[in-house]
Amino acid sequence: QFGPCQVKGVLPQKLWEAFWAVKDTMQAQDNITSVRLLRQEVLQNVSAAESCYLVHTLLEFYLKTVFKNYHDRTVEVRTLKSFSTLANNFVLIVSQLQPSQENEMFAIRDSAHRRFLLFRRAFKQLDMEAALTKALGEVDVLLTWMQKFYKF
Amino acid sequence: HAPEDLSDLLQNVKFQSSNFENILTWESGPEGTPDTVYSIEYKTYGESDWVAKKGCQRITRKFCNLTVETGNFTELYYARVTAVSAGGWTATKMTDRFSALQHTTLKPPDVTCIPKVRSIQMIVHPTPTPIRAGDGHRLTLEEIFQDLSYRLELQVNHTYQMRLEGKQREYEFFGLTPDTEFLGTITVFVTTWFKESAPYVCRVKTLPDRTWT
Repeated sequence: QFGPCQVKGVLPQKLWEAFWAVKDTMQAQDNITSVRLLRQEVLQNVSAAESCYLVHTLLEFYLKTVFKNYHDRTVEVRTLKSFSTLANNFVLIVSQLQPSQENEMFAIRDSAHRRFLLFRRAFKQLDMEAALTKALGEVDVLLTWMQKFYKF
Repeated sequence: HAPEDLSDLLQNVKFQSSNFENILTWESGPEGTPDTVYSIEYKTYGESDWVAKKGCQRITRKFCNLTVETGNFTELYYARVTAVSAGGWTATKMTDRFSALQHTTLKPPDVTCIPKVRSIQMIVHPTPTPIRAGDGHRLTLEEIFQDLSYRLELQVNHTYQMRLEGKQREYEFFGLTPDTEFLGTITVFVTTWFKESAPYVCRVKTLPDRTWT
């Protein structure tokens, strides 16, 4: 339940299990401990209404940039399997999100976009290899934030 | 002689976390001697500076309590240990990225089991954590994990077990035989974080039935 947007058929446990299988490997490869892409300014105090826009843009970025480029670069089967599971679930989520495009939502949409730009700017300040590794190592930050909107 | 590599002096640097009490532990390697001293630093992931932990500088013990320093469970942390041997050799090792939300385990709950004639009441007490809210009060596990629940089981005999489950704190098993011993086990679990505590166990005997029949 991301504000007005509802998502069904996604089991958080599957996402976590997929990530935990590669967490130590990915985070150990990330030796830039002084940079966090999904910083507090990106994810903290996001309203329910804003969350639909933000989760949509973040997951699309992960699909079109992070998973895609990482897939092209790695042959490590176990890692690929985990990130395929994550990617498939992200596709499922994105396909169900219907962020409203109405005018009165402009301010909320714009706020979500500015948060996303903070994230993307930090991503682009790193070289691609380091940025991909860091973004993948921070999937737990993304899942933790998404989990706040999980309704039983 | 010189240690072959870092792990000769220092091994297994990691956080051990239980109910958000976060303890850094490590082991000395084969080259470690009782007079090897250890100094601890920690940092928040995403920040540049390492901070020396007061009280854990040049210590000989192999643990350090970083609960306060890693007390914001929305943050991620690193810690590192520097070992200095008597011969002056040094080795530094860092933990994996630490998230208390993901890594902390749950201790058994604190429960009062109250026997009656034909029932047993169980009252689960809230579990305070070291984490302080904005107003300074200590957060309980129930406040941190919105979907925290309790599972209570009463072993009636070898084949029959009663079970109750929920988020409230008071439970009662009814329809029991007077003056009989029962074994109760109570666990805490948090579905969204796939956490389950070890059980709290209470062995209670229902009261004798003194009513005139």
